[in-house]
Amino acid sequence: MIKMEQINKVYRPHSNPVHALRDVSLHIEMGDFVAVMGPSGSGKSTLMNVMGCLDTPSSGSYWLGGVEVSSMNSDQLATVRNRKIGFVFQNYNLLPRMTALRNVELPMLYAGVDKEERKTRALDCIGRVGMLDRIDHRPSELSGGQCQRIAIARALVNNPDIILADEPTGNLDSVTSMEIMNIFRSLHQEHTTIVLVTHEEDIAAFARRVLHFRDGKLINDELPSSPHIKPSAVKGGEDI
Amino acid sequence: MNLGESIRVAWDSIRANMLRSILTTLGIMIGITAVIAVVAVGQGGQQSIMKEMEKFGSNLFQITVDWRRDELPTGREFTMNDIEIIKANVPELEYLLPCAQTYSTIKGRDKSKTAQILGTEADYARLHPLEITAGRFLTNSDCQGRRRVAVIDEEMAQELFPRASALGKRIVIGNQPLVICGLVKAESSPFSMGIKYVYIPTQVWLDIYPDGNISYIEGGTHSPEEVKVAMQNSIKILERRHHSKDIYQGFDLEQQVQAVNKVTGVMTLVIAIIAGFSLLVGGIGVMNIMLVSVTERTREIGLRMALGARRRDILIQFLIEAIVLCLLGGVIGMTLGIGGAFLISALAKWPPLISWTTVLLAFAFSAAIGIIFGILPANQAANLDPIEALRRD
Repeated sequence: MIKMEQINKVYRPHSNPVHALRDVSLHIEMGDFVAVMGPSGSGKSTLMNVMGCLDTPSSGSYWLGGVEVSSMNSDQLATVRNRKIGFVFQNYNLLPRMTALRNVELPMLYAGVDKEERKTRALDCIGRVGMLDRIDHRPSELSGGQCQRIAIARALVNNPDIILADEPTGNLDSVTSMEIMNIFRSLHQEHTTIVLVTHEEDIAAFARRVLHFRDGKLINDELPSSPHIKPSAVKGGEDI
Repeated sequence: MNLGESIRVAWDSIRANMLRSILTTLGIMIGITAVIAVVAVGQGGQQSIMKEMEKFGSNLFQITVDWRRDELPTGREFTMNDIEIIKANVPELEYLLPCAQTYSTIKGRDKSKTAQILGTEADYARLHPLEITAGRFLTNSDCQGRRRVAVIDEEMAQELFPRASALGKRIVIGNQPLVICGLVKAESSPFSMGIKYVYIPTQVWLDIYPDGNISYIEGGTHSPEEVKVAMQNSIKILERRHHSKDIYQGFDLEQQVQAVNKVTGVMTLVIAIIAGFSLLVGGIGVMNIMLVSVTERTREIGLRMALGARRRDILIQFLIEAIVLCLLGGVIGMTLGIGGAFLISALAKWPPLISWTTVLLAFAFSAAIGIIFGILPANQAANLDPIEALRRD
């Protein structure tokens, strides 16, 4: 699904260069659940930006779903983001003036999906995150956990190849965090490919594999990670 | 993203900042209001003038002394004999009459009024749509017999002789006593400015004012096509008889219409320039607020880009928002303008003329302002870096 070879990212290459990524090579299989960990400045954000086609690497190759994307122009990258990637952000990034339903429909607008199908698919995805009773609410009327569920529904709605979640529980309390992680786990069980950035061990523990970064380098690739039993101990975890 | 959705998003954002949006679009609103109202009132006024002129008739002309000459008029440019000779020599003419006028006092039994004293002939009533409310207009025998009779304005008659009908009563103009033989209703035109008229035979007028003279002559032809020829031939005869050139000036309806059109043309140009400035200022206001909007919604732009919006999707979205904003101003302006036009017209007592061309043009113009002044902010939005934009608070 994802194949990176010798990826380098250098900011300000001419004056005072910063090497955000150094020779990163990795491979993520379809249906994998990968956590990316590392201290701040380790390059994990840059990795997510490159992986999410928001940024292009300075050198190296990046195949996403069999397509080399590292040399694409901005319009092509936009299409790749739209069709192949679902983003989940720490601060949800829902548009405040739109209802939950319209927020979920947003990626489909850029994909040119017609109105009827937009609604059907949005409702389907909202159902998968258990938010069907909140479709007409605006983000300000929803709790953080509810917002993140809607954001996950939005990430799913174009059937992406991969879900990229950047600290999705960073703004949530521990109970809600577990609820959100259980959603990710059930998505994983439905064979969705997930890459998740976190700096919390117990969140990373949900993943099947953990990539550790430091100073722009992939330093440790645990496969599998710590015992994969901890999350299932959370009460109600299987209800999703 | 399709157009309907873009408009919906634009409207949502405008509605979220309704007060700001209205204030922003105020410049455009005022510009459009002014254009619509002034053009409507102006065109209504022009139409009134035209109607007034058409009453004068397309087969009619006037010959006056050219006041643009360096010499002062001698006062002897027209004589009664001129009239007779022109009549005899210009076969196209149906009527030709002298008009001598002066502003003077009319004395009734115990009251006085001032009015325009017009010395003319019986045919005057055939050239001008006068409404005789009592008695009769001047007749040929009145004029030929130099009868001391006068046809006066109905309202003035009422004021001079409040108790009984003025018909048959005696008035004094200059030192001459005259008998009222007819009453006319004042012409209801916005341009008559309430001037009251007294019509008397030309010869009588000349008797009252021995130093006075015929001010102009009016002629009418059998058909409108003959006007130019009749007018030119009349002027030629006058010039020959008075051994002069370039003293006389002829007016027919066509020339008057051209004169009016020239005035309205200048007026329209002035309005267009003022409106242009107003709309320019309005457009800058829109650009300014759109730049603010782009800054405020940087994260939204970043998010949309992350979700798959291409640069041109963002560009179009903000352009549409600028256009919708301008059209909002335009539509409010149009409504106010049309309302204003009706109000002014009601006060000025002439019908407003709302031309659909103007309305459509105003609409198109507002949209054009949106595009022109929306490009800079929209371009700024479209060129944001999605990563930077998403990181912004």
